[in-house]
Amino acid sequence: MFNPSAKLKVDPRDAKLAMAHFFVAFTALAIGGLAGLLQTLVRSGKFELPAGIGYYQILTVHGVVLGLVLTTFFIMGFQLAATSKTSGTFTNKQRITGWIGFWLMTAGTVLAAVMILLNEATVLYTFYAPLQAHALYYIGLTLVIVGSWIDGAAIIMKYAEWRRKNPGQPSPLLTFMSLVNTMMWIVATIGVASTVLFQLLPWSLGFVETVNIGVSRTLFWYFGHPLVYFWLLPAYMAWYVVIPKVIGGKIFSDSLARLSFILFLLFSIPVGFHHQLMEPGIDPAWKFLQVILTFLVVIPSLMTAFSLFATFENFGRSKGATGLFGWVKKLPWGDARFVVPFIGMVAFIPAGAGGIVNASHQMNQVVHNTIWVTGHFHLTVATSVVLTFFGVSYWLIPHLTGRTLTKAMNKLGIIQAVIWSIGMTFMSGAMHAVGLLGAPRRSSYSEYGGAPQAAEWIPYQVAQAIGGSILFIGIILMIYIFINLAFFAPKGEQEFPVGEAADEAEKAPMVFENWKLWLGITVVLILFAYTIPFIDLIQNAPPGAKGYKLW
Amino acid sequence: MAKTELSRKTKTEIKASSSLKGTLASVFLLGFFLIITWVGVYLLFISRF
Repeated sequence: MFNPSAKLKVDPRDAKLAMAHFFVAFTALAIGGLAGLLQTLVRSGKFELPAGIGYYQILTVHGVVLGLVLTTFFIMGFQLAATSKTSGTFTNKQRITGWIGFWLMTAGTVLAAVMILLNEATVLYTFYAPLQAHALYYIGLTLVIVGSWIDGAAIIMKYAEWRRKNPGQPSPLLTFMSLVNTMMWIVATIGVASTVLFQLLPWSLGFVETVNIGVSRTLFWYFGHPLVYFWLLPAYMAWYVVIPKVIGGKIFSDSLARLSFILFLLFSIPVGFHHQLMEPGIDPAWKFLQVILTFLVVIPSLMTAFSLFATFENFGRSKGATGLFGWVKKLPWGDARFVVPFIGMVAFIPAGAGGIVNASHQMNQVVHNTIWVTGHFHLTVATSVVLTFFGVSYWLIPHLTGRTLTKAMNKLGIIQAVIWSIGMTFMSGAMHAVGLLGAPRRSSYSEYGGAPQAAEWIPYQVAQAIGGSILFIGIILMIYIFINLAFFAPKGEQEFPVGEAADEAEKAPMVFENWKLWLGITVVLILFAYTIPFIDLIQNAPPGAKGYKLW
Repeated sequence: MAKTELSRKTKTEIKASSSLKGTLASVFLLGFFLIITWVGVYLLFISRF
């Protein structure tokens, strides 16, 4: 479909806004990656942190800086660039909104980071009560979230403008996807904003003595699960829309892609209980309901897998591939823009399989609070999502800075992804295996008083340190490539690949753009899944907890 | 004359339709992998709890 608003190139003013996000994101990668390396070394039992630095402080840095900062900044930068490219340059008002959002997020990040570095907020990235951080840490997190809302408002304003100017037309696919992810993020972050503003902040300031732990954890996970889809959907944007263009093929179906994103909006949020399956205070019937809803959110991921296989096969066959899997050979195996996200797609197969295990109600007992879970999300976010983000950076950064991806950098990008895969196989593989043997997540190195079971875990922890060290080499390479593409690569034109649907006559049904309907169903599902158990958690609450600083 | 052209055009369209056998096989393999993983941990669960 012809889209008159689509630009050949992102406007330099919008490019600057997107690049600002990427500078923060890649700084976070360097800091968080170093913290991750140190953690795996400590847990091997062969290394101790110098100068009295605590393991849990480093763990907090790693989780906050990579899980919250790297992801949110990269995603916002990518979505702003994608919206500007497909729906047209932002107006000054929209761009200023974006900048306000960016600076608020950055100020919040600096504030939270300073409190972590001062050892005033060693509460891990989940900041579970009754661990109590300094109030400024909670204020910092609040600024990051409010900033992201304002950043997202720029995308919503652009979308509304496009719809006004193109009545009766479905919005450009990348804009549509950015919008869905932004709306899901806003609905989800209401949960974490509520617990921080109404529970944790007054409690850390001393206005109230105690806090209701069950409520705070429920509000956190109301946000915490859609958070992982907020990470994943931008990767799916690249898989659905960018990858087909990169390989020279077509999007299998524009409507299928939109439907899967709508399903993510509906089913990503009312599922937080699957992170609380072992917790008291929530009736098992309500847990079971949310388990069912969790399994519904598997469907759009399976639709995505089908759609990608079909895109690849159609492309391969159009190039004369024969046999059942002959099309695999026709894919561009020398192109980092394809290979790096492709490795991410492959990693999502074991990642998804592990996720289904985690969510299976009673079966969660096998893996709950073990390092299997850490292994799981290092496949999802730290491989599938992050490698896709790296793959996106290889064309997006030079596109925005007016440079090109050279052959040497393309090759280095592929080497980087191979190193990442090797490191992650060691680290995440060992985490999965030892998790099944009962090794706990989060905790520092301990021999547990010489317990024989704990002694079994140590070889796996050494394997994690080997994997972590290989991954750190991958991080150094990535930072090197980023700096090259941002400042030193030769000037030129790098394409922003946006795929076209296989069936150009296919017009996406307008019902997909009916936000009253979709947000309405989203709210109904959330109220259905949460209202009664939430009332239970308040009415039948045990005495509240005072704050602890255990570090 | 017009008739011949019409029939030739139809022929090309049939040729252009492509097969998705490989996709079918791939999604089945993916499904089997999910099932095997799940059953594996399920057996572990049964043996422990």
